[in-house]
Formats: sequence, structure tokens, C-alpha cells
Amino acid sequence: MTNATVASEYSAEVNHVPIEHRFNPYSDNGGTVLGIAGEDFAVLAGDTRQVEGYSIHSRYQPKVFNVGDDIIMTANGFAADGAALIDRFKNQLKWYKFDHGGKKLSIQSAARYIQHLLYGKRFFPYYVYTIIAGLDENGKGAVYSYDPVGSYEREQCRAGGAAASLIMPFLDNQVNFKNQFEPGTDGKQKKELRYLSLDEVLELVKDAFSSATERHIYVGDGLEILIVTKDGVRTEYYPLKRD
Amino acid sequence: MSDPSSINGGSALAMVGKDCIAIACDLRLGNQSLGLSNNFEKLFQFGDKTFLGLTGLATDVITLSETFRFKNNLYELREERSIEPTTLANLVSSTLYEKRFGPYFVGPIVAGLHSKTNKPFICGFDSIGCIDFAKDFIVSGTASDQLYGMCESLYEPNLEPEDLFETISQALLNAVDRDALSGWGAIVYIVTKDNVTRRVLKTRQD
Amino acid sequence: MPGLGFDNYQRNQFLSAKGFGQPMATSTGTTIVGCKFKDGVVIAADTRATAGSIVADKNCEKLHQLAPKIWCAGAGTAADTEMVTQLIASNLELHALAQNRQPRVITALTMLKQHLFQYQGHLGAYLIVAGVDPTGAHLLSVQAHGSTDIGKYQSLGSGSLAAMAVLETNFKEDMTKEEAMKLCANAIESGIWNDLGSGSNVDLCVMEVGKDAELYRNYLTPNVRAEKARSYKFARGTTAVLRESVKNILDIEETVINFTSTADAMEVDA
Repeated sequence: MTNATVASEYSAEVNHVPIEHRFNPYSDNGGTVLGIAGEDFAVLAGDTRQVEGYSIHSRYQPKVFNVGDDIIMTANGFAADGAALIDRFKNQLKWYKFDHGGKKLSIQSAARYIQHLLYGKRFFPYYVYTIIAGLDENGKGAVYSYDPVGSYEREQCRAGGAAASLIMPFLDNQVNFKNQFEPGTDGKQKKELRYLSLDEVLELVKDAFSSATERHIYVGDGLEILIVTKDGVRTEYYPLKRD
Repeated sequence: MSDPSSINGGSALAMVGKDCIAIACDLRLGNQSLGLSNNFEKLFQFGDKTFLGLTGLATDVITLSETFRFKNNLYELREERSIEPTTLANLVSSTLYEKRFGPYFVGPIVAGLHSKTNKPFICGFDSIGCIDFAKDFIVSGTASDQLYGMCESLYEPNLEPEDLFETISQALLNAVDRDALSGWGAIVYIVTKDNVTRRVLKTRQD
Repeated sequence: MPGLGFDNYQRNQFLSAKGFGQPMATSTGTTIVGCKFKDGVVIAADTRATAGSIVADKNCEKLHQLAPKIWCAGAGTAADTEMVTQLIASNLELHALAQNRQPRVITALTMLKQHLFQYQGHLGAYLIVAGVDPTGAHLLSVQAHGSTDIGKYQSLGSGSLAAMAVLETNFKEDMTKEEAMKLCANAIESGIWNDLGSGSNVDLCVMEVGKDAELYRNYLTPNVRAEKARSYKFARGTTAVLRESVKNILDIEETVINFTSTADAMEVDA
């Protein structure tokens, strides 16, 4: 289309660019995940809907897993890659234990290792947004999030997947109190940061997902939340709208 | 990203409260990632209690704001009264659909109170004039995904004007902070039957 | 200047040649169905409008009135279904006035198909047209390119397969009005649950011979949002304000004063 300003599509303009047919190894299976770190706990939540195009493949396909050593993990995006990545990590964790006399893998070591798993496929990436959560060596909640090729960061909270753009600003506002000021200070004093309780966090997670379900067609059916505390990993399930 | 309606960036938002409406926008005008202006208002007033928000390609925002000002002036001369929000909505719709096969790249929103009954009205449009009548809120612009997420979680019906101001402001501010193409200042109008309040918000400048 | 304007067409072609694609128009993803019964016809639709993977409108109206007793359900580009329907509704009324007769369903269909064919499929309207007229009850459909179908039950839109599965299984000849309403609602619900492009509520319209058409807006509402876990009302003063200006709206009262002193009354011819 070099003469696009002169020609219109009503003229007999023939497109001479050859059409290339190629297998596309990736697909988008929708879904959304969300991780929040608290003072002495961390949660990782994901909806349980798996989709392709306009079809629902499953209304209950869990995608947040307890991978061992009180680490919970999710890889959202292309479901096959997500499953493969988590399987690989679980397997490597098993070998790590064999090789080191059952030593517990710390969350920061797990985080660094996952970077290598992802970057190892730099030129044929796992098409996923990965989040892991657990407790750090001081018993404080930790959430690590990754891009598809392994760039990662420890954060207080992170949303990933289809409705990440809907949920993330909500988290900024309600977890980190962004744009909130103390009333009566004329916008001079920021609202003070504080750790949220587990109950507060669970409420935020539920509302974030029910809101995302309202406005995003790839989110719905069910919400599964994995919670890590010093007592181990616990799972909760809440139904979401199914339309 | 490479779509005409996200070259210049910008977002707008409208909400319904108890016997009032609020409409807000950011102030950024950019050329892709380069910010050009922090004083590009996207809201336009029609009569006392009706507002039109226009986001999208800046040239079309300006062209259409002038087209609608012109059409509204003729309407007021002919009818000897100011335009109702519903009438403006239909005017916007037909004006956009007139260009069905060569659209203006805009995402308009209309918000206002009926001149006599003071009944709140809001609606939004796609670029070819399909009206989205909503009872709660309408979002538009490059941060629309973020705004949907914020509004869907923060919004509740029947807020008093002062509470509606906080809700719409927080929804807009946090949404535009997660959009590279929106922000750089924000304006909020709160419209009640007695007055129109315009507030300039303190925002991040990055 | 009748018709649509192409003023921006070349500019937009230039823009897309520069690599700026077209923005997404609101599409009504949609499940729509229609089904005949003993002495009438029912049409139904879901109420979700999508822009890509985002739900733009949770409760939109996809049932359009063409004439008092002729209604149509629309799928495809939302603006096109709305506008094409309004245009044909106007022309149909003018036609009915000129002919001094009730408009017929086949007339509406012919006007629609001729209009859509003229635009060679560029108007993305996919419609199920139904109604009653002096010749009986009718159920027809028309696609964007202008082709039309006739059938005792039909479905269109992204959820058409889910809906048709229900229609094919449960359709019977000469159903009662209630049976037909139930069948159509079930077919739409199938789309709502199983097709991501469809959702929210069921709208329904019944047209029975010799009776007024009945529109059941939100006939079923199986997707009401549950209450949120928390209220997110902010304390007043949470948002930082740089400046504020208030404009008061003054009500102007108008009173008419009558000068009724009979002495000054002007003399007029009786």
C-alpha cells in the first residue's frame, strides 16, 4: 500500500505481498492471577476459567500451585507453557532436595532459579506471566513477579494475566494507598502505609476478581486463593459469575 | 498501541451520583511517548448542566468539539433553549455515524442533568456512534481498561456530590498512573441542580 | 448531503498505511434467536456488548422496533444494527402511511436486504426479523451481505451454535406462547453461559397474531452482581485539590403580569 493516499480500495489495486502461512505455537488461554504480600503471610489467587477464543475449555482448571517448601506459584498466559514451567520447577526442587539432604529452598533462591528457567528459553519463551509467593527468611510475606523472559522483582503486590490492567491500579490504591492523602492536610500528607490483615487482603482479592469478572470476558467461573503462613499453605475457593 | 486513537493519549470518565453527576478527564497531550502539553482539557460544556468529554486523536477531538459547538449554537438559536443531555447524545451519535466509513478517532462521553427534572444522564459512544447507555459510570480513552477496573470496584450508587468527587477522582488518578499515555494533571466537574464545581487535582507529573 | 460521508476516508487509509490500525468498534458478540409458535413468533437476545475482550455494556438493548408489530434482533457491529434498524423503521412508517396499510414483515426484510446488499457487507448487521402482519406471523433473518433465510427457528451471533443446539433439541411444531418463550430464553441462556461473547440478561419480545407486541426487557436476570466484600467510600478530603471554582446555577422565574384595567382595553371590531 504505497499509494494509499491516492488510491482507494474501490480501485483495482492488487495486493502483491505474498501470504505467509506458518504454525503458531502459542495461544492465549486467558485467566488472571494476583499476589499480595502481608506482614506474616502471602496470598496468590487465580480464577479457574480456561478459555480459547470465545469458548470456555474448563470452568475449574486450577493454575495456582503449592510447589513445595511453602512456595506457591502461578504462570498465567499460555496454559501449556505455564504447566510446563511449573512442572519443571517442581522437578528441579525435588532434585535440589536429593542433592542437598532435604534442605529447604528459600523464596529468594527459588525466585532466582525461576529467572534462569525463563531466560533459558530467551528465544522461544514460555508465554506466561509468572508470580510466586511465600515467606522470606524473616517470616515476612514475599511476592516475586516475572516477565516472560525472566526479568523479576520482589513486590508488595502484583496482578498478572488478562485482567491485570483492570486490577493493578486498584491494588495501587487499596494496598499501597496511592493517591490517598490524610483528610484536612490539604493534600500535603500522604495516607500512612500499613500492613493489611489477612482478612482485609482476602476481601480485596475477592472484590478485585468479582470486578474483573464483570468487565473481562476471560475471567470468571471460580476464584481459588492459596495462602501461605508460618503454618503452611491453605486453599480457599469462591464461586465467580459464569457468563 | 499503534492505533490512531492512542497516538495522543488521554482519558475521561463520568459517574452518576445521588441527584448529581461527575465528569473528569486528564490533561495530557502527547505524541506517542513524548508529552507535549499538560493543559489539554477534554471536557466541553453545553448549556448549564451538560458536558461532553472527547478522548482519542487530538485533531479529531478539536475538530469535533468545534463541530458540536457550532451545532449547539444553531440548536440554541433555533429552539431558544439549551440542549438536553439526551438530545446531545443523539446528536453525537448521528454526527459520528455520518462518518461510518471514515470515522473520527474519538471516544466521546456525555454527562448532564435534565434542565427541568434534574434527572442524571450519562452515556458513552464508540468511534462510529454506537451509544452505550449506562446507569453507573462510563469510561473512555487510553486508560479505559484501568478505568473499568477502578470504577467496577470503587463505584457504589447514590453517592452525595462530595463523596462522588472522591470516588471519581481516585478512580481516574489511579487509572491514569498505570497508563503511560494519560495523566499530567486532571480536572473534575461535579454537577448538581444548584451549581457546577470545577476542581483541578494534584497528580503525579511523570 | 444525503448518505454517509467519506471525508476522512483517505486520511484514515493514509494512517493505516503508516501502520496505525483501525480502532475497535463496539460489537455485540451476541446470541440472538427467534422461534415461531402456534399463532405468533418470539425473538430473544442477550444483553452483553463487547469491545475486544472488555465488556463495554452489561445491559444493552439488542431488540429493535421496526414497526409496532415488527421487531428485530441484531448481532454484529452495534452501531450498524442500531442505525440500519432506525433507518428502515423510518422508511417503513413512511411506507405504511403512504399505502395506508399495516407494514408487512417481508417488506421490512426486503428493505433491509436491499440496503445491506448495496453496502456489499461493509455494514456489519446480522438481523433476525420477526413480526405479525395481515398475512400472519413471520420469522426471517438477513446477513450483512444481503442474503436472507426463512425458518421456524433461527439463531445468529457468536453464541448461535450454543443457542441452535438448544433449539434443535427442543423445538416442536405448534408450541404455545409460553413454551416458545421458554425455549427462546433457554437458547439465549445457553449462549450466555457457554459463549464468552454473550452474557448478562435475556431480553424477549412476543408477537402474536391479533395482539399488540409485548417486549419483556430483562425477562431473565441470572447474572446480578453479588454484593462486594467491602465498601470503597473514601473519607472526604482524601483527594488532593489544587484549585476549585464554583458556578451557581440561578433559576429564573417568569411571571406574566396581566393588565386588566377595563378602561384601557383596546377597542376591537366585534
